[in-house]
This record gives sequence, C-alpha cells and structure tokens, in this order.
Amino acid sequence: MSARNSLQMAPSISANPSVPANLAALADPPTRHIDAAVMDYFLIELVNTLRESSAVATARSKKVEQEMVEAGLIPPPVAVSSAPPAKKESARDSVTSPNSRNTAKAAVLDEEEEAVRVRLEAIGLHVGANFTERLCRDRPMFSETLDAIKFICKDIWAACWDKQVDNLRTNHRGIYVLQDNAFKPISRLSSWEGRAEAVKRARLYVAMPAGIIRGALSRLGFHGAVVPEVASLPQCTFQVKLPKGT
Amino acid sequence: MAPNLRLNAVAFISPQNHPILIRTFAKQDEHSIKYHYIAHTSLDVIEERVSAAGKATECYLGLLYAMEDVAVYGYITPLKVKIVLALALSDSVVRDVEITMIFKALHMTYYSAISNPFLKLNPPTDAAHDHSPYLLVGSPKWKNFRMRVDEISRVVGNTPNAVSNP
Repeated sequence: MSARNSLQMAPSISANPSVPANLAALADPPTRHIDAAVMDYFLIELVNTLRESSAVATARSKKVEQEMVEAGLIPPPVAVSSAPPAKKESARDSVTSPNSRNTAKAAVLDEEEEAVRVRLEAIGLHVGANFTERLCRDRPMFSETLDAIKFICKDIWAACWDKQVDNLRTNHRGIYVLQDNAFKPISRLSSWEGRAEAVKRARLYVAMPAGIIRGALSRLGFHGAVVPEVASLPQCTFQVKLPKGT
Repeated sequence: MAPNLRLNAVAFISPQNHPILIRTFAKQDEHSIKYHYIAHTSLDVIEERVSAAGKATECYLGLLYAMEDVAVYGYITPLKVKIVLALALSDSVVRDVEITMIFKALHMTYYSAISNPFLKLNPPTDAAHDHSPYLLVGSPKWKNFRMRVDEISRVVGNTPNAVSNP
C-alpha cells in the first residue's frame, strides 16, 4: 500500500518523442511513497480508534433509543437474557444473578465488537475495490475465476502485506481457502492475558483485510462472502465463498 | 507533437453498461447528443470484440469503427469499465501509442475520482454492491473528475472550450 497516485506534472523524459511529456506524466503518474513502519502503526491504531469511536456512536444511539422508550414512542427493547421482562431497562442493568450478568456483558461486548468489525470491513471494502482498480491498470483481462483469485493471492497480497499467499486450496465448486502462515497485520500481536486471549483479539484486526479481499472481489465482479479465521498467531486463513456458476 | 489530434468526446461506461460520464469538446455547436449515440453503438462493438477475442484480451481495443467525421477508439479495463474516445477524422497518421497513452491517462483520472472516500458517506446496508456512486456523476462532488478529463483534452492539444454532458 505504499504507492499513491499523484497528478503533479513531474518533468519526465518520455521514451517516445512523439508523446508530450505532460501526457506521459498524466498517464503514468510518479508513485508517492510512505514509510512502511508508519503504515503498520497506523493500521494498528486504526482499530483502537475505531473501537472508541464506535463505542461513542453506539452509546449515542442507545441514548436516543432510551429517550424514545421513555417517551413511549417505541416499545422497550427485548431483554437479552433471563431478566424479568417487567423491567424497562435492558438486561444489561439487571442484577438478578451474576450468571445472567456475565452472559449479558458478553452480549454487550460482542455487539460492540460487531459494530467495530462492520466499520472496519466497510473501510476494507472501499480500499480493496479502489486498489484493485489501480493494480489492474497494466494487465490484460481476467480469463476466469481462478485467474482472479490468483491475482488476489499474488498482487494484492504482495502490495498490501509484502508477501504472497502461502497456500491456496479450492474445492472447484466456488469455495477457496487462502492460507497465510505469517500474516502481517497480526504478526506483531501478543497479549499479556495469554495466547487464547490474543487469538480472540486478533479477530478484530483481520476484519479490515477481509474487507479488502471482499472489496477487490466485488470490483472484479464476484460477489461472495469472505470469512477470516485465526487459529493461532500469526497464521490466518480466509475462506472465500463465491456463488455457483462462476 | 503537433496538435493534430482533436478530441471530440470521451465516454466512460460502467461494468453494468450504465453511462458514467460523457464529455464533449466539440467547438462547433453540434448536437452533443450525437456522442451519446456513438457511445451506445460502441458498446455493441466492444462486446463483440471481447467475446471474439476469447481468453487473452488486451485492454486496448483499438479502432472500433469510423463514422462520418469521427473515429472511435475503445478501451476496456480488467474490471469491465469501458472508455470510448471519439477523435475527429484527419488525414494524418494516428499512432497507437499516443491513443494508448490517452487511455491510460483517462483510466488514471477515473481511478483518482472513484477513490474519493467521501463520495458515498453513508454506505448502503447492502455493502456487497458498490455501483451506486456511478449514478451521481452530475453532482458537484464529481467536479474534480470533470476538471481532470478537461485537462487531458487540453494537454492533447485542444482549446479548453468544453461542453459538459454528464
């Protein structure tokens, strides 16, 4: 992701004297570079910042919802655990039993994580789609689906994460499994709470790469689902399900 | 390069065959609707060429056809976005490499315009399909796109009297 587009008229020596230098510069703009370490830090911080931001957004929408409930405009929300339904507040505030409180809390955390994940995936969709446009500039068209998947495995992986996919498997019926043994975004993650906790948190960090892959596929014309899985750090697999007929 | 290439019109067409932008640079007061018609007929020719070429197609499709006073060139990106260029017919030799350069520059401007993350601030819930930005090309957010396309035509050697036709 270190190449960016630039519209400056750089004085370039065109190999072909019949083409004006300006046109050559417009057709092939000089690439701008960005420090790779900065990019890594940025992507890691991105997840934390979005978590805060989406927590604020969720809190805001819950406040509005609460106000509407109090004003009687909408019925009170359904309780997520076994709290007595007579209570107007949602189950998060119930103190009936520690068990139900734990599951309620887990539900809250999952909901917040889901919100951040959706945002990250949306960002990834946009980045992946547009990056594919840029990468596809100088290459001929794709002849078939496998070609497109191979393009993703090689070009996008190399451009975004500096290496190629380690293993590609398919069942020839629309399901592809891309495996990377040292996936860059999660290669530097570790948690003081232990391996299992680190694996759980890593799920959020692979949401954006999953979005990038999905965006690239959708811009190529294949609308499918991409499911990331982290079994153990730093290994990561992406399961791509493309619809039948491709 | 002597400015003997006169760009008459540029048309961008989406993968779903919807027009994205059709911009004409004709100095005379012709009916610019004629270029909509040209873009439309080019679609058929492009499809025919692409299906005939089979597995290995190049992006640059070359001269598609020539009408009364325009020569129409086509280009298709690997993501199925088609760019159609209408040049005024002239007796001088037109080199392929110049046209290819123009197409690459146009592809770049399209890419710069579409990468703008502020184009659709509120993404639709169905995030799988993202061809909705194409339909808003007339709006002010796409002004940069139009300006860049104008710049290309200016660089090729036209006067900047552009008639816009989004």
